[in-house]
Amino acid sequence: MSDPVSLTDQPVQEASTTPPAPGRSRHLSDRLLTVAFISPALLLLLAMSVFPLLWALYLSFTDYSATRGGPATFVWFENFTAILTSAQVHLRAFTTLLYVVGAVTLQTVLGFSIAYLISRRVRGRGVLTTLFLVPMMLSPVVVGLFWRFMLDAQFGVINSMLGSIGLGQVEWLTKQNTALISLIVVDTWQWTPFIMLIALAGLTAVPKYLYEAASIDRASEWFRFRTITLPLVWPLLLIAVLFRAIEAFRLFDLVYILTSGGPGVSTETLSFHVYKVAFLGFNTGTASAYGILMVLIVIVLAQLYMRYLNKLKED
Amino acid sequence: MAVSVDEAVSPGPVRDHRPPGRRSTGRGRVVIEVAVLAVLAAVMLFPVLWMIETSIKENRDVYAIPAKFFDFTVTLDHFKDVFVASDGGPTTLSGAFLNSVIVAGVSTVLATVLGVPAAWAYSRFSVKAKKDQLFFILSTRFMPPVVVVIPIFLMYRQVGLFDTKLGLILIYTAFNVPFTIWMMKGFVDEVPAEYEDAAMLDGYTRLQAFWKFTLPLLLPGIAATAVFALIFSWNEFVFAIFLTSSDAVRTAPPAIAGLIGGTTVDWGLVAAASIVFALPVLVFSYLVRKHLVAGVTLGAVRR
Amino acid sequence: MRYPKRIGLLATAVMLVATTVVACGGDEGASTSSPKAPADIPELTKDPLTLSFIWFDWPPAKALEAFANAEYTKERSNVTVKVNVVPNANWHDAMFTQFAARKTDFDIPILDSQHIGEAVTNGNILDITDFVKKNIDVNAYNPYLLAAYGQFPQAETGKRDENASLYGLPLLGDTWTMIYRKDLIGDTPPATWDEMIAAAQKCQTENPGVSGLAFHQANGSDAAAVTYNTVNGVYGGNLWDSKARKIEGVINDAAGQEAMDVLVNKMKPLTAAGSGNWFIDEVNAAVAQGKACIAFNWIAASGGLLDPEQSTLGKTREEILGKLGFATLPKQKTDLVPLGGMGMHVSAYSSPEKQAEALNFMKWFEQADIQKKWAAAGGVPARTDALSSPEFLNAGPFNKVYADSVSRMRDMWNVPEYARLIDIENTNVNAALNGAKDPKTALNDIAKEQQGVLDSAGKKGGGGL
Repeated sequence: MSDPVSLTDQPVQEASTTPPAPGRSRHLSDRLLTVAFISPALLLLLAMSVFPLLWALYLSFTDYSATRGGPATFVWFENFTAILTSAQVHLRAFTTLLYVVGAVTLQTVLGFSIAYLISRRVRGRGVLTTLFLVPMMLSPVVVGLFWRFMLDAQFGVINSMLGSIGLGQVEWLTKQNTALISLIVVDTWQWTPFIMLIALAGLTAVPKYLYEAASIDRASEWFRFRTITLPLVWPLLLIAVLFRAIEAFRLFDLVYILTSGGPGVSTETLSFHVYKVAFLGFNTGTASAYGILMVLIVIVLAQLYMRYLNKLKED
Repeated sequence: MAVSVDEAVSPGPVRDHRPPGRRSTGRGRVVIEVAVLAVLAAVMLFPVLWMIETSIKENRDVYAIPAKFFDFTVTLDHFKDVFVASDGGPTTLSGAFLNSVIVAGVSTVLATVLGVPAAWAYSRFSVKAKKDQLFFILSTRFMPPVVVVIPIFLMYRQVGLFDTKLGLILIYTAFNVPFTIWMMKGFVDEVPAEYEDAAMLDGYTRLQAFWKFTLPLLLPGIAATAVFALIFSWNEFVFAIFLTSSDAVRTAPPAIAGLIGGTTVDWGLVAAASIVFALPVLVFSYLVRKHLVAGVTLGAVRR
Repeated sequence: MRYPKRIGLLATAVMLVATTVVACGGDEGASTSSPKAPADIPELTKDPLTLSFIWFDWPPAKALEAFANAEYTKERSNVTVKVNVVPNANWHDAMFTQFAARKTDFDIPILDSQHIGEAVTNGNILDITDFVKKNIDVNAYNPYLLAAYGQFPQAETGKRDENASLYGLPLLGDTWTMIYRKDLIGDTPPATWDEMIAAAQKCQTENPGVSGLAFHQANGSDAAAVTYNTVNGVYGGNLWDSKARKIEGVINDAAGQEAMDVLVNKMKPLTAAGSGNWFIDEVNAAVAQGKACIAFNWIAASGGLLDPEQSTLGKTREEILGKLGFATLPKQKTDLVPLGGMGMHVSAYSSPEKQAEALNFMKWFEQADIQKKWAAAGGVPARTDALSSPEFLNAGPFNKVYADSVSRMRDMWNVPEYARLIDIENTNVNAALNGAKDPKTALNDIAKEQQGVLDSAGKKGGGGL
């Protein structure tokens, strides 16, 4: 949380080593420029990101409600203990975990496979990549709506195709297991291209001479893959997984449109639950505490993961 | 430089160095690989194709069982319905598209104006706790929107920004600034600082040097960065649905979501609206295809 | 990594924010009771004025805008009426986030009858008791209709408490209608719930590809909850004991359990596969596509069924009406039907001249001849004389169903906690219908969780989980 003002406290001793006047003024104006260029952006972030977060932090210790109004009374950690001990929350946490693990694993495997296959092609690679990237560019609203249409049990095209090859109707969105699977499938459809793109960046950056050397050594394909390709792509892939996991953890819009949490509450993610707490009962204090806990989880897990990544790099 | 999908090197051709005896199996493998790739591409693209088909079908064909893949009457009525209301006036949907253009456009310009100079400063000068500052800037992007929307809502209520275009513009700008800084810092790093030093020896001030020599070199990077900011603002749904309430402010994503949940659902219209809405993004992302990797990872992965 | 320093900074900042906010005394001096509207309508402006409503997107909203702009402007030529619409799923959130913002872009919110408690408790809408006394002929209405769309605290089913305050006036009456295929099950609608299930069963067996029943099962809005509440009422159950504020042991008593059993084990098997997320539009689509023998839907949402453009049942309205019958709900142990529809209210955050205009509009709207015109324009009026008028009864085949249902209506709980109660019921009934929960467990969970919400009023921390 370094504030932009502290930039001006730069050690001044450097000035003594700068001989003539022109150099000195140049250095000063550099510092002015730095402040002038950085502080507007930082101020905006302070106002729009940090201040709201601190406000949420304050509210999380109160029983404030946005509609009831009136002064907020401090309940200190009661919101937090209530959330952490609530069976309802545990249920959503488990659902979210299943979803994150399922979706991220599936799209990593698929994304990497596609990238690997594309990287082995010479012709048509640009066109292929561009086509594969289309789902990623669509709005989650469009993706959600359209899959809801395609997955409709009665007149959806998926069941129609299953029917024409002799398989029965599947209730994609209204059965406990299939609904979560549908969510995972749709998310995978949209975000496999993301993993693919990053994996492709890693694969295509593998220096050609390494393969040539290996080829001369008559190394087996699998050996080359394991000893040359994978080690070079692995760190990139791990970053991609981190990005996806964070995004998946806070999933809201797809649930809102595709299943609205159903059947029952079986596809309600943590974000969706926060929404209900915040906007159905307008329990702003509880919702804020809930949100703060989610942010903490993301930060702690991301830090641990980054540490693992850095260790990997050092090895 | 970010990886371009067109010009990258393939490990594929190495196969040519293999002994001739193994070529036939190699060719068989190529066929299998191409087939697998084709199937995967078909699966990934089918929903998009189905969306396009649905948008040009008449409603009775949309609900047909079994689904009609080729044998249907083509109509462009749904696309007309996206823009023209039954009474001949513009639809609320077309108003929402216009709102999206304004909100996404202005917030992108603002994020660029704020972010590019900051990125330049972070790249060129020694700033105290630079790494911490940069990490902090990035971390603001990782908060779940549903969580952020609560305090933002309370704040906007106080200052009268609730249900205003300005309110949406500000929050989108705040979400795009970190991204702009991270991505642009990479581009600035690639422009040698010596250019500016040389210019300053010629008597230009630092600011002039930045303006006259560095900025023009950054333009392609700025364009790419701006497009990604634009795509984010264009597709965003959570803030849009919770911070707007009137047709005059509502952007396209919540407006399209609102097409379902009445007494009847016109899937042809939903499909047509989705296509119209997705088209600009697809065109733009094609334009910045060389910077895609950097773009989708907030500049974290560049190569 | 200088964490200690950063934490120190953070703590300072938090204290700073906290003290600022506390010093401001929360953030607004919100009133906890509704402001009163004047008994007499204040002088109206002659300047151009837009009177805004908020409703969800469905045909009656369009009908209202067209009707008001055609008729109300005859009396008030400087006024334009605008009916803002939001998706049904977003209706409650859209109104109440604006109420929470203490700034509304609508003057007349059209609240669901059960939203009144929340709006009144938060002081979001005007108390119009005095205005009604002076300007509205209360004897022209069935007392329960007046109570359901305006009174708080809630009235007993079928009655009105004349000493209670009023916060709204009826805009659109509504209830469920049974829609049945005359060509498949015969001209006479089943009279009891048992007969209805038997007829649906027979029809489904005889007509492959057509399912016996179609009704609301979704977990959003009030879809699945209204379905359960309807069966609960018909089988003699109660949703709660309003005086003792008791739900546990009431909704899940023997009658309640039987209702849940009928719904999940007898009715659900007769619905189409994958219908577990159906609401108004999906049920309509099933009927229009000829895929349901018997369906239940809100009357106000049924108009589209007679539109040949959207139907496969016939090429003309008459042809469709030859196949579709509309009837009041079958009876079983009681004859109760769900109360639907909405009332008009006045936003407490509108400008005084718009509030005056809103009151004037309400007074105008509730006149006998205007109510008849509203009926002819496709609306469902509330005045008894309008309900028995030929203008209303001839406007649609389902209007007689409504007129016959008025004396049989029952509403849900109208309390500030409504949004949470309905969510608990929706998600649990939806879970039971889709096999995610055993029906008995689902009903007991509803009772336990809803009771928890009612009891948690004074509890500190963790509200809303």
